[in-house]
Amino acid sequence: MTESIKPPSYSRRQALKLGTGAAVSLPLFNINHAWSADVTYDGGTFDAGGATLNVAEWGGFWQDLVRKLMLDDFEKQFNCKVAYDSAFPWFPKFVANPKDKPPFAVVNWNYPEMFKTAKAGDFFMPLDEVMANVPNSKNVWPFATANKVGITWAYARYCYAYRTDMAAPPPTKFADFWDARYAGKRGTYITSNTLQMDFFLAACKVFGKDQYDLDAGYDAMKRASPLKISDFTGNMQALLERGEVAIAVQDDGEAYLQAKKGIKVAALVWDEVKPILTQTMTVSRYTDPVQKKLSLAFLNRTLDAGFLNKFTEAFNYAPVTKDAVIPATLAEFGIKNTADAVSGFTIPDWNSYLEHEDDIVETVNQIFGSH
Amino acid sequence: MSESSVPLPFRVIAALGLVVLLLPVVIVVLSGLNAGEYLTFPPQGLSLRWVRAFLTSPTFMPAYGFSFTLAFGATLISTVLGTMASVFLTRSTSRWTGTLRGIFMLPIVLPGLVLGLALYVFYATTDLGLSRSLTGLLIGHVLVTCPFVIATVSAALVGFDLSLEEAARSLGATALGAFLRITLPIIAPAISAGSIFAFIISFGQFDVNLFLSIPNLQPLPLAMYASLRYAFEPTAAAAGIFAIALVALSTIATSRLVSFKRMFGA
Repeated sequence: MTESIKPPSYSRRQALKLGTGAAVSLPLFNINHAWSADVTYDGGTFDAGGATLNVAEWGGFWQDLVRKLMLDDFEKQFNCKVAYDSAFPWFPKFVANPKDKPPFAVVNWNYPEMFKTAKAGDFFMPLDEVMANVPNSKNVWPFATANKVGITWAYARYCYAYRTDMAAPPPTKFADFWDARYAGKRGTYITSNTLQMDFFLAACKVFGKDQYDLDAGYDAMKRASPLKISDFTGNMQALLERGEVAIAVQDDGEAYLQAKKGIKVAALVWDEVKPILTQTMTVSRYTDPVQKKLSLAFLNRTLDAGFLNKFTEAFNYAPVTKDAVIPATLAEFGIKNTADAVSGFTIPDWNSYLEHEDDIVETVNQIFGSH
Repeated sequence: MSESSVPLPFRVIAALGLVVLLLPVVIVVLSGLNAGEYLTFPPQGLSLRWVRAFLTSPTFMPAYGFSFTLAFGATLISTVLGTMASVFLTRSTSRWTGTLRGIFMLPIVLPGLVLGLALYVFYATTDLGLSRSLTGLLIGHVLVTCPFVIATVSAALVGFDLSLEEAARSLGATALGAFLRITLPIIAPAISAGSIFAFIISFGQFDVNLFLSIPNLQPLPLAMYASLRYAFEPTAAAAGIFAIALVALSTIATSRLVSFKRMFGA
């Protein structure tokens, strides 16, 4: 229900000017209803009259590429300005703003923070409504919308990146990370990094009953210690290149990229559990109609094969649409864009993880810090 | 005091302190000149490739320019406001002076993230048009830089001989004239030091930027963080070289300016 939401054009002061609260409450409700459901988008271009679309996505090279591949054209075609904000995190910004004035109309997320935000309030347009108004979403593999919050548009498989010239033989299964030949040469990430979260949950599942078996995960982290802990995947690449770690949690795209550069690194993609590193977009529910329509157009353009092919090639991600082409670097390593190749991907129960996050972070940090 | 009269242990400690202070600078410079693919130390050979990457980057150069402009603006405002506040705080006999000083200094005590978030929430909920605006960001920077000006200028004003101003007044100068022609030149080195602090704090500010930054205009610290997060290339360290150079140059330039003032004053 949307009864508590006011349309952005009516601030409290303006409402008082208009008359009594009772006088305005009925029209407000009706407008809310209209705003929450009635914006439609058919995939074409339209004149947004110079409106600004507030987008939150990653910065740096990512931003440069999105600007080059999409934003300039998008702004021209839709007569709008894209206000691109890369100052992560987004969660506190959503929570801090009044619900009827979300800081962003479109947001690109990794799963944990997206689920955390979705849990904190109904900030996002329901996924079925989004899909009904984003024609290109008809073309995505089912896993791209299985999270029920946003549409995943690019992904990478989790894997171990390992040095091919150290600690032979190469790993063949998830549990090999714990093999004695990698003692003191294992790498993972700080607890706030999604890769570590997924690694922990995968360990819970592989060594315990399921992802909820946290004790199995703690025990696995203990057995893997001492570990080299990185903040980011880029730093882990440097550790791998220098041979400071022989095996590390990584996403497959980055491992293949290193291998392609001639560094003695290969990837063992996890098959026992198949979590994926995703880029997932949400559309904010309570933005004004023009911005919401622009949001749907933006998401539709993101899922366009023309954009996806170029973007995923630059970042070594795999696209989620059935008609997109797997980047050459990934195809070279046997990655395919087929129903078989994308089957069985798992989305951990992030709500459960977030409920236990404080305990997990504290315990895992203690384990990491005690070696 | 001649150098030889400083006890040896003190000199050793001072030398160690200098090494500790300079070591990060050396590491940043060498990392920025790294020939390798990643931001690592020691560098894998020396090269200017990442310096060139910085100079041609569509992200870093605008971010550098924006941070410079922002820091310059914040420094100007902080220097004027901070100096005025210092004069008031050191000369007022109000019983609220101590409380006011505490309030002025609060941004130093508060963790930057808390201040940034608090301002963000304030902007977002008051609907003053400051949220995600340049004015809002500038206010945040002035808040975190002003205490540094107040602290340094107040220190100079505490020992200031007010009879100098009184002498000027007795010779016919107005209160403002006496302040501008007598007090200001004397406390200029402190104002200069405070403004340098303000500039450095603003230029390197991360916490406040994280919450108050505006779309399409990324300050340098955020651009460096994004670079480390996604690429981990030495471009961020190359940007660090230019940031260090800017701070060093501004320090030298300001100190020269103060010397000229003294010269002209003399």
